[in-house]
Amino acid sequence: MKRLIPFLVLLSTLLAGCCDPLPPATPTATPLPFPSSGFTPTPIRLIYGLTLAPSGIDPHVNASSELGIPLTSVYDTLVYLDPESGEFVPGLAEDWDISEDEMAYTFYLRKGVTFHDGTPFDAEAVRFNLERITSPDLASQKARFMLGPYERTEVVDEYTVRIHLGEPFAPLLDSLSQVYLGMASPTAVEKWGSDYQLHQVGTGPFTFAEYVPQDYLLLRRNPDYAWGPKIYQHETALAEEIEFRFFADPATRSPALETGEAEIMGEIPPQDAVRLMESEDFIIEAVPIPGVSLMFFLNTTRAPLDDVDVRQALLYGTDRQAIVSTIFRDTSPVAYGPLAANTFGYEPAVRDYYAYDPTQAAALLDAAGWIDTDDDGIRDKDGEPLVLDMFLMSWGHMPEIGQLLAAQWAELGIGVNNQVVSYPEALEVAGEGRHHLIPFNLSGSDPDILRKFFHSEAGFNWSKLDDAEMDNWLEVAARTSDWEEREALYSQIQLRVMERGVAIPIRDYVNLNGASSQVEGLHFDAQGWFPWLIDVTVTEIQ
Amino acid sequence: MIEWSAQHPRPLLRQPVNLAALAWLALGVLGALLASPLAPEGPIAADTTRSLLPPGPGGPLGTDLLGRGVLTRLLWGGRWTLGMGSLGLAIAVGLGLPTGLAAGFFGGHVEGVTMRLVDALLAFPGLLLAMAAVAVLGPGVISVAIAVGLAAAPAYARVARSAVLDVRAQPYVEAARALGGSEWRILARHVLPNAAAPLVAFAATQLGWILLNGAALTFLGLGAPPGTPDWGAMLNEGRGYLRDAPWVSGFPGLALTLTVLAANLLGDSLQKALRPH
Amino acid sequence: MIARYIGRRLIQAASVLWLAATLAFVAMKLTPGDPAQALLAASGATETEIAERRTQLGLDDPLPLQYARYLWSLAQGDLGQSWLHGRSVGQMILEQFPATAELAISAIIIGTALGLALGVLAALRRSTWLDTAATALAVIGLSTPTYWSGLLAILLFSLHLRWLPATGEGDPRHLLLPSLVLGCALSGSIARLVRARVVEIMEEPFVQAARARGIPPWRVLLVHVLRPALPTALTVVALQFGFLLGGAVVTESVFARRGLGKLAVEAILWRDLPVVRGVIVLGALVYVLVNLAADLAQAWLNPRLREELA
Repeated sequence: MKRLIPFLVLLSTLLAGCCDPLPPATPTATPLPFPSSGFTPTPIRLIYGLTLAPSGIDPHVNASSELGIPLTSVYDTLVYLDPESGEFVPGLAEDWDISEDEMAYTFYLRKGVTFHDGTPFDAEAVRFNLERITSPDLASQKARFMLGPYERTEVVDEYTVRIHLGEPFAPLLDSLSQVYLGMASPTAVEKWGSDYQLHQVGTGPFTFAEYVPQDYLLLRRNPDYAWGPKIYQHETALAEEIEFRFFADPATRSPALETGEAEIMGEIPPQDAVRLMESEDFIIEAVPIPGVSLMFFLNTTRAPLDDVDVRQALLYGTDRQAIVSTIFRDTSPVAYGPLAANTFGYEPAVRDYYAYDPTQAAALLDAAGWIDTDDDGIRDKDGEPLVLDMFLMSWGHMPEIGQLLAAQWAELGIGVNNQVVSYPEALEVAGEGRHHLIPFNLSGSDPDILRKFFHSEAGFNWSKLDDAEMDNWLEVAARTSDWEEREALYSQIQLRVMERGVAIPIRDYVNLNGASSQVEGLHFDAQGWFPWLIDVTVTEIQ
Repeated sequence: MIEWSAQHPRPLLRQPVNLAALAWLALGVLGALLASPLAPEGPIAADTTRSLLPPGPGGPLGTDLLGRGVLTRLLWGGRWTLGMGSLGLAIAVGLGLPTGLAAGFFGGHVEGVTMRLVDALLAFPGLLLAMAAVAVLGPGVISVAIAVGLAAAPAYARVARSAVLDVRAQPYVEAARALGGSEWRILARHVLPNAAAPLVAFAATQLGWILLNGAALTFLGLGAPPGTPDWGAMLNEGRGYLRDAPWVSGFPGLALTLTVLAANLLGDSLQKALRPH
Repeated sequence: MIARYIGRRLIQAASVLWLAATLAFVAMKLTPGDPAQALLAASGATETEIAERRTQLGLDDPLPLQYARYLWSLAQGDLGQSWLHGRSVGQMILEQFPATAELAISAIIIGTALGLALGVLAALRRSTWLDTAATALAVIGLSTPTYWSGLLAILLFSLHLRWLPATGEGDPRHLLLPSLVLGCALSGSIARLVRARVVEIMEEPFVQAARARGIPPWRVLLVHVLRPALPTALTVVALQFGFLLGGAVVTESVFARRGLGKLAVEAILWRDLPVVRGVIVLGALVYVLVNLAADLAQAWLNPRLREELA
């Protein structure tokens, strides 16, 4: 007894001392001392909530969109895609030419741009970046593939650089407008080597101040920034510091926003978003994401889905509106085709396909010979029950969608085996074709993204499609930069996907961003994911 | 003031607590068995027009996100949860009992080796051991049952051994030995029946532990495929709607708590009643 | 000699640890799945590269050699490499350990305080309604799953009352709710055992003798009853450490805190077996050490035991 009490006292003092001092509990618009210069922005400090902490955050290497949210403001790109006009505007490149054969892009670079570490930005820097991205040692997971048939970069003079391609590649400018192909300081990359992701240096309106993996990322305003594209509304950043924290569990995001732990929060769950929309203290910035909508791919090589009638029956038997209303509380539009409705090249005619019609679905199944002979509630044919294997991933509400689909199809006499698998396992299963159904969605502003899913040799060809005509359309559309020709081709592609019933589109992805109503200037780029932090500020200081 | 001396407790089955506990367990089992006639729509059938309705408009216990009745899913889920508990207990006893009996009865090397193994297994925190077992066995409710059964077995072996040791020291066992019975016969006819009582009591307490940790595993998402109405999984499903629809998590948790409580209370009462004075 | 006792306990602890490590090794060997493939899967390596990595990892060596190598690395603190992140398992565990330790220690403090209070109260007012109520509270405490009480606590204190943050970490306010929830669950078993021990002591002849001698009740209570009961609380906490670690895992998930729990769950979901193995071996180590410490502390605190050993 005599020894226990002092021990406990000691322990509690140790415990008290071990934790960091409390940050202010009220909405954090803390004024910081700021030395005066020509332009004095309001000293604002924001906390921005991200979701899953990615294991790597080097945009040249890693593929997650999470990393792009802060890093789009740390790096500049050669060109920018204006979400309003759909046109490419100058960024680090003031102007550019495309050769006749569309295999050489010449960029005339802006002068007077410096990286955060003082290194000047020039053509050599561009070459260094592209070589880094395409070098096999880097094992780039996304950036490399965005460059397509890239061959080499030629430094024409100090501020002129030419990219040479093996064949025409229409999405090149679109790729060059994204953070994954942002320009990093060659000095920093060489200095830090494999640790570069912890010490990133770009030319953007914010510097990469501090990063503790899985914990937080701090961006600090770059006072020397003077070369933003015209789509930025300010010359330098309004906020002084933005701290990014991770909120992997969806249920924690809205509470964090509501208690003032964060001013901005990404990917708020639908039912929380609906509640916040009705509140005066918060706003929801709902951003539709272009790209491939959330779809369930039907494995056309595995019975019974090798029968197009069965696939179409599934499509007719899916009440997508119910899914969107129930699980997404109508915060997303229903998807009717493989491309999200706000993607360039979207073909509106896909809306005419597969309106919810369970009678038609039942008729198709009957005609295909699937009848419930043993009265167990599941249709069968030649002794085989109509049971489908569905593999789901744990994010994006896929488990709930899977359950609802299973319930809807159960009424049609179709059985479903649902399982949740990890992402590597899903890739394995889909690659081997062990699935009947597997969902996915991927964002991207160029419709060439369809090639990843529907080309017979594509990595994500989870429908196991082998359609030579479709392959041809996809390849031609990737090569030609004539927008009208591309549009026509993509139109045919989308309609073909629907006719053949190789996938069930469910919904277009909408990123529900929540923010305190004091936040202003929160707008997102053409990819839908990435905010232009230069314009973000908080109005009232408490 | 301070009660310095003990009072005499009432007989086991006359205590209202035990009656209540037994009644609840019986209710649970009955509900699970009768799920089909009581809730014929089944646990998967969704009705999206009735999403997240509170108890009252949404049936006795409300509805979940997909419009499925919480009561319906509790009844069907009972099969999963209670089934998992029973299987887990069977494994724990099936592995632990013979081990502990052998160790306690035969002593010597047998005891040395087995008890070392048991101690090593007991060094692993129970839930973590079960989690590791699930990692090895792969996901699924059966895996969860096996995993928690394996994790619970060592404790059971320990108790079995102590019980045997207690009995072995009794005079009538010596007498049986003197009369020349074979070891196995003595084990079966004298030791086992007399050791049974504390073993049954512990089994009841263990059931509580198994249910608690098995549901923890499904809560963490390590067990059932999506849509399984296992109570732990139901708790997890409702987490995203805690504010708007607390009944989705609330009732499965309540059911689980009451069941574990019942098992623990029964175990306690049995142990108290059977403790030698 | 006390030294002999310590020595014996140390050997015992070491043998348990060794056995635990061996079990972990065996379990991993039994699991289907090729470690080399798991490490290289995401980067799209070829068959030859995978085969090379297998030899490099020593997976083609005879089993006893692998086992010996495994024990040797373990002794040096090397727990292998994560299949998912490629980083050192030891490093990953070390990063997450403080958060879990923080939660566990706070829970122990709260749980022990509550458990002692409840247990002593129940014992002193034995067989009255107070005893029944306190015992009932204790049983309810240990029967309630933390993943349910945690959700309820969040609902009440965070979402409705807005007194405390729901999730995350960083300052004591974030720690309060999870440690309360976990502590309450722990207090149940402590309360029961403390009550039993106090009752036991109260029935001892020396207590009756002390009363008969006319020593005031509060002094009898404090010196002759509670003091010997203290070690029991210690033992229970040590024994319950297993529960505590498991409880911390679940509580971390409920309150979205970082820590070993999150690490372990992620590792299991992604079949990152080296991390799973690392966590449970660490768990065993902590458990054995804590119990060793508790036994030794008991020997120190309990004069009678010291005499027995001397």
